[in-house]
Amino acid sequence: MVDIFFVKWIFAFSPILTVLVLMIFKNWSGSRAGAAGWFVSLVTATFVFGAHPLLIAYSQAKGALLSLNVLYIIWAALLLYNVVNETGAIKAIGIGIQRFSGDKSIQILIFGWIFASFLQGVAGYGVPIAVVAPLLVGLGFSPVVAVAVPAIGHSWSVTFGSMGASFQALMSVSGLGAQYLAPWSAILLGITTFLCGICAVHVYGGWKMTKHSFLAILVIGTAMAGTQYILAISGMWTLGGFGASLVGLGSGLAVAKLKIYNQVPPSQTQSEMGLGWALSAYLILIVIVSSGVMIPPVKAFLGQIKLTLAFPEIVSFKGWITQAGEGKAINIFGHGGALLLYATIIGFLVYRSKGFYRSHALNTIVQKTIKSGVPTSLGIVSMVCFAMIMDHCQMIIILAEGISRVFGSFYPLVSPWIGLLGAFMTGSNTNSNVVFGVLQQETAQLAGLSASLILAAQTTGGALGSMIAPAKILVGCSTVGLSGKEGPVLKATLQYGLIITGSVGMITMLFSFIR
Amino acid sequence: MDSLLKKHSTILKTTALILMLVIPFLLYAAAWHGSILQVKLLIAIFVVNMLFVMKNG
Repeated sequence: MVDIFFVKWIFAFSPILTVLVLMIFKNWSGSRAGAAGWFVSLVTATFVFGAHPLLIAYSQAKGALLSLNVLYIIWAALLLYNVVNETGAIKAIGIGIQRFSGDKSIQILIFGWIFASFLQGVAGYGVPIAVVAPLLVGLGFSPVVAVAVPAIGHSWSVTFGSMGASFQALMSVSGLGAQYLAPWSAILLGITTFLCGICAVHVYGGWKMTKHSFLAILVIGTAMAGTQYILAISGMWTLGGFGASLVGLGSGLAVAKLKIYNQVPPSQTQSEMGLGWALSAYLILIVIVSSGVMIPPVKAFLGQIKLTLAFPEIVSFKGWITQAGEGKAINIFGHGGALLLYATIIGFLVYRSKGFYRSHALNTIVQKTIKSGVPTSLGIVSMVCFAMIMDHCQMIIILAEGISRVFGSFYPLVSPWIGLLGAFMTGSNTNSNVVFGVLQQETAQLAGLSASLILAAQTTGGALGSMIAPAKILVGCSTVGLSGKEGPVLKATLQYGLIITGSVGMITMLFSFIR
Repeated sequence: MDSLLKKHSTILKTTALILMLVIPFLLYAAAWHGSILQVKLLIAIFVVNMLFVMKNG
């Protein structure tokens, strides 16, 4: 009986194993590996778990609805980033920050921890490493440190960054609301805020510089973790990473003025665009998202049109029943992606009226958005679709039951590692949440643990996976002339990633005892 | 063939993405109306699209 269960468990794990092997050992992209995983899940579901054409049809429709919810945010975030970047505003923000301090530890913290997290808040998808690494090389840091520092430093802000795309994915696959998932997620990610800051400094200057930066990490970390928590639990999770890093930027610039961090004179480089104009699109974004989330009449007005589909009860040939119900609704005008889109349009008009664009800028913006958005989207849709096939054929329940049998009440120790594994293999916290979210939720329920705590550990592990994901390291290395020499960077980020994830596992275990 | 695929890579990938998002809704409509033949045909098209993504995605 145990042997039969083990064989079924192996079959249930085969789509995930396929993605893992192809991405890690064969160096396939997320989209290609996701499609391969989809094939394996289709074949396994049909021949082992009793899937039939109607089950496949309904599961794929649910997958498309879930994907659209996530892609809405991803595409709007990418568009906003390109609208801003095309004006030279990102470069201007970097120069503006550089003028505040000549202290190396403060430069590491402001660029690699705060500014990288700010970029994660507004864009993500490898942008923080790609933008910050060349800036750090320009400040005299070695290329390996220049890539490793933002890779480690921005990880805490991944879940609530990119306008909360990863958190949206977690809510979508688990069917749980922000009010249920946000508190624990914000607490665990808040703890990692400090750990990422410490590790970002340590990778450059060891314990001596970490000690020198202690006060700065404490003040800035508290400001960022606290802001993220408040935004997340008050329904503004789309602004969680962005708002926290913006507050962190303010507190970081204030800390830079302290005497102990002001021994070396700062750079006097000037940019063509002022810091105020450079940040204007993001200020517009704050106003729009705050209005859309916090003002009830505006929220109600924007939330009038929601698209969803009704699904009947689906029974597999093996007798596994998926209850009837509605798919994930898409709030056309009140969705986080829609709010981003409004800010993007207004930001574009403001920048254009001020003459910050060259001719044909709109064309360039659209092309860049499509070029980076399509491969990411292909990966997400294929992985969501195979996760839905697995969900409708009992495969995820079998996986969860197996893990639950092995680890039992010690499962909280393991849960962030599963999230980390997902992000490592797919290069994305969002994909990790999609692939493993339901598995973690079911396992938590079977083991009698809090689903919200375990899902928080899942997404925290997924966020930390960003610092070791080969897909992101490759992007960073390509911007500082380290293409083909990614090994030393990965070695550096891997040790910190494993230490922080292990710590999160222990903290999750502790919380599971005391709650 | 390979050079043609490379030349039109962005357009082909965008088309594949659109198909990945549209076909599931057609599958839903066919399944809702109980048309098994249409469902099987659409799954076959979805499989071909996924094959393209697996090769060129």
